[in-house]
Amino acid sequence: MSRQLLTQRTSVSDVVADHQTFRKPKRRNVGLAFIAPFSVLFLFVFIVPIGYSAYISMFQNKLIGGKVFIWFDNYIKLFQDSQFYDGVIRVVLFTAIQVPIMLFSAIALALAIDSLRLHGSRFFRIIVFLPYAIPAIVSTLMWGFMLGIRYGLIGSLNKAAGTSFNPFAPETTMISIGVMVTWGFTGYNMLIFYAALRAVPRELYEAAAIDGATEFQIVRHIKLPALRSSLIVTIIFSIIGTFQLFNEPNILTTLVSNSGITSYYTPNMYAYSLAFTGSQQGYAAALALVMAVFTIAIAYAVQIKGMKNAFNK
Amino acid sequence: MSAPSTGKPAPRLPLERPRKLYTLANPRKSLSLTIVTGLFALYCIVPMLWLVINATKSQQDFVSSFGLGFGGHFALWDNVAQVFTFQDGIFSRWLLNTVLYVVIGAVVSTFLAALGGYALAKHDFVGRRAFLLIVLGSISVPGIALAIPQFLLFAQLGITNTPWAVLIPSFINPFGLYLMWVFSDQAVPTGLIEAARIDGAGELRIFLRIAFPLLAPATVTVLLFSFVSIWNNYFLPLIMLKDPAWYPLTIGINQWNKLGSTAGNGELIQNLVITGSLLMIIPLIVAFLSLQRYWQSGLSMGAIKD
Amino acid sequence: MPKKRLRAAAAIAASIVALAGCAGGESTSPNAGVPTDQPITLTVWSWDGTVKEAVPGFEKLHPNITVNVVNAGSSTDEYTALDNAIQAGSGVPDIAMFEYFSLPLFAIPGKLSDLSEFGAKDLAKDYVEAAWGNVTIDGKPYALPSDYGPAAMFYNQSVLTQAGVAAPPTTWDEFYQAAKKVRALGGDHYITNDSADIFVLMSLMWEGGGRPFKVNGTDVTIDFKDAGSSRAVAFWQKLLDEDLVNTKITNWSDDWNRGLNEGTLATQLIGGWFTSTLPERAPQAAGNFRVAPLPQWEAGETSGAENGGSAMAIPAAAQNKAAAYAFLEYFTHGDGLQSRIDAGAFVPNLSNLNNEKFLSATNPFFGDQKYNQVLADASKNVATGWQYPPFFGWARTSYEDVSAPLYDSRQGTLADVLETWKQRSIEYGNEQGFSVR
Repeated sequence: MSRQLLTQRTSVSDVVADHQTFRKPKRRNVGLAFIAPFSVLFLFVFIVPIGYSAYISMFQNKLIGGKVFIWFDNYIKLFQDSQFYDGVIRVVLFTAIQVPIMLFSAIALALAIDSLRLHGSRFFRIIVFLPYAIPAIVSTLMWGFMLGIRYGLIGSLNKAAGTSFNPFAPETTMISIGVMVTWGFTGYNMLIFYAALRAVPRELYEAAAIDGATEFQIVRHIKLPALRSSLIVTIIFSIIGTFQLFNEPNILTTLVSNSGITSYYTPNMYAYSLAFTGSQQGYAAALALVMAVFTIAIAYAVQIKGMKNAFNK
Repeated sequence: MSAPSTGKPAPRLPLERPRKLYTLANPRKSLSLTIVTGLFALYCIVPMLWLVINATKSQQDFVSSFGLGFGGHFALWDNVAQVFTFQDGIFSRWLLNTVLYVVIGAVVSTFLAALGGYALAKHDFVGRRAFLLIVLGSISVPGIALAIPQFLLFAQLGITNTPWAVLIPSFINPFGLYLMWVFSDQAVPTGLIEAARIDGAGELRIFLRIAFPLLAPATVTVLLFSFVSIWNNYFLPLIMLKDPAWYPLTIGINQWNKLGSTAGNGELIQNLVITGSLLMIIPLIVAFLSLQRYWQSGLSMGAIKD
Repeated sequence: MPKKRLRAAAAIAASIVALAGCAGGESTSPNAGVPTDQPITLTVWSWDGTVKEAVPGFEKLHPNITVNVVNAGSSTDEYTALDNAIQAGSGVPDIAMFEYFSLPLFAIPGKLSDLSEFGAKDLAKDYVEAAWGNVTIDGKPYALPSDYGPAAMFYNQSVLTQAGVAAPPTTWDEFYQAAKKVRALGGDHYITNDSADIFVLMSLMWEGGGRPFKVNGTDVTIDFKDAGSSRAVAFWQKLLDEDLVNTKITNWSDDWNRGLNEGTLATQLIGGWFTSTLPERAPQAAGNFRVAPLPQWEAGETSGAENGGSAMAIPAAAQNKAAAYAFLEYFTHGDGLQSRIDAGAFVPNLSNLNNEKFLSATNPFFGDQKYNQVLADASKNVATGWQYPPFFGWARTSYEDVSAPLYDSRQGTLADVLETWKQRSIEYGNEQGFSVR
């Protein structure tokens, strides 16, 4: 048993590719039956609307003149749209910096809490998770205050220190958004890692201790490998999440000015503004589908890379 | 981010003998680790202090006192009373709606995710890889772009403006499915399933009686995530519902917030928005605390040896 | 709470008014063609909370009609919902609320009912001319005005006095001089704020005769170079250049409330509806604020502009149009209007703007000034002939985008911004099937 658990599977494709000997063809139907309720609803809630999106992405719905079939013109236009690239580059950069920081913090916190060496670990577990439960509208209000230079906390700190740091200047807004997103989602990811650590049988630690393993070795050889599959999943979902960055910048526009946030600040904000204020649903649909393909490509690449060098060994 | 790197305790020096087990029954508490973790907790908690402090202020104090200081008078109970009486007490209705959406949505979505995730991990069937890719691909489509097609589809079925329009999408939790799949793979020993099969147990019974209990920590995690995400669900209900009697709290509170920023006869009720938001997270804390005990390792029973 | 006092004062004033009886009796019956025998349910989408005040009275008159007033979201949220409902062919409300600038977007593609068939044209004379102009497109009324935002200047008298400005500025020259004096108070003191708010700039154009948008059916012309518009742009550019306007505070933000409250924002150039919300935003400035007409381009002129306001329309796809119109007329024009005025609505109906009791209302927050008198005059003075392009909702967002470099980091000029905005609007408008130049 211990061997099986020690050699954790690493990734989506690993697991998929892993055919275990006990499986027999007749049980395939059972698997299908188990996945059916999810699939049927999924088809209904996601696949059909996506199909419809793909359909309308080939139309232009004019305010005057109605729907016109335009083949792939929306896609051609999109690839020449500098506003689109502006947003894409921004979220890619954001993802490249924010996601590693967030996941690293989450793993460290999960290890710290799971080590049982914390005073009040229950307290930490809930405190770190709670920000995730705060609705976006409120968290943005809170951070608008925390980072406010006029009446907010940063304003008071600036006054005390005689500095003039502005967290919502066009150059710094993205960092502030990063602070907000990390605040909101570190606890969420921490819980995933924590759940993975809790799934490690305690006997393993006993065995390791009897073998004379140091705590560091336990972390390195038992705990971190146990987190590999969770890490891949969290990376993929974090990428999907940050590529769809919307709430924080969108609400910030109503709180602070001169922050550099435009209606195409992120691809998702652009899609929103196209569909909801510009009546360009077809174009918005094209954008959304291109972003989805792009996200999947990145997530897939990460996963393959993750298989090779996640935590070495 | 300075906190995380110290999360791993330094290796012990050889002279410290005999070595102790820190992860088991009586671990030695570490003050430095607590402090470093505490710094991160501070980052989490200070903004929430803002929420708590400002829920105690009247609207008048809210615009005139410092954000992390208290106002002229302690108005928390006034605010709470106002939240529940404003607009003929519609807040209670929204609260009930939210509870309805959350309880049904979280339970159903978690069960479907567990069932599906377990099947993905432990059953082999054709098209599993394609299935995973399709699910991943679909959730990569920004939800904002799907909202209108979803609305039109639901309108065709005549279920917009009914609770079903909120409930049905909430039954789907792709992230939960993935987590369940990963955890099933780790936490449910294949040997155990095999043994049960030899004993003649049916597949559903194996899932319910053997796999599901082993998945407790993952189930709790997914349940919590579903709970929170449905609790905070904003965009879809906004598109689907036009009858305030079916609004969840998020829509209602946002609408209250917008009252103050709409040219015209808006009322500025930030104090109610903030107090309402504070009240909103209390059930989440309760849910979290009451699920605490399920954080135990599912495998600690040591039922299997192969 | 000042708000409560305001409401109480309004309620008392209103009850007296109600006794006096002021509803505009009309020749054309709004009830023509309303079925009386079958039960009807009307759904009204409104984010204006005063509409529901008129419901009990109407239901009493029409026992077979039930009115459901629903807040289906504000502004863009509601328009999206309405478009969705129209596309889906179900759930279309009988009456929906629109900001004036958003009416053409729905009226021109035929999504709203022409109210001429119900006799709405006869009501024109009962409204401020500019307000009626807002709901009339190509000569047809598509909505009835339901609230109004004459542009006015709200000023903090004690701050102006402190800065050495004895009387509120009555011309833009005086405004500029006052701006310098307020700025000289140092720190964060500014005469006003502007963070890419197109409505302030448009008020200045509008008042001075600038008509940058000309709409004729689906033909749209955009030109910011006419005399009135150019003058407004040059003036505002001067204020920006000399750092006389706080560009770091955006309306509706907490910073804004606090600036008004502590007096670092000395004036606001904004719609008259601001009376209802200023007291709760600036509680500590109670007694200091006053309302004045918008400063003029030449001394002695009495021109005016609009900032905000909305109307109620009947979607073309609505189910019960005759009944809908009966209620629409009731709460925007007929016997139900007063209940809304009592609840704080500011309406462009002449019956109300000429009503002595209404005009003599006071509020200690405004130093017992007869603020409604100022706003009623401002309403009547609003210059006519202004038009919004049908895609103004989009254009407004686009303006925020194109003006960002100017406001964020002082790149370029207001004139450059408007030129870019014009080009984008032309591109967008033509794509959408209009003919834009």
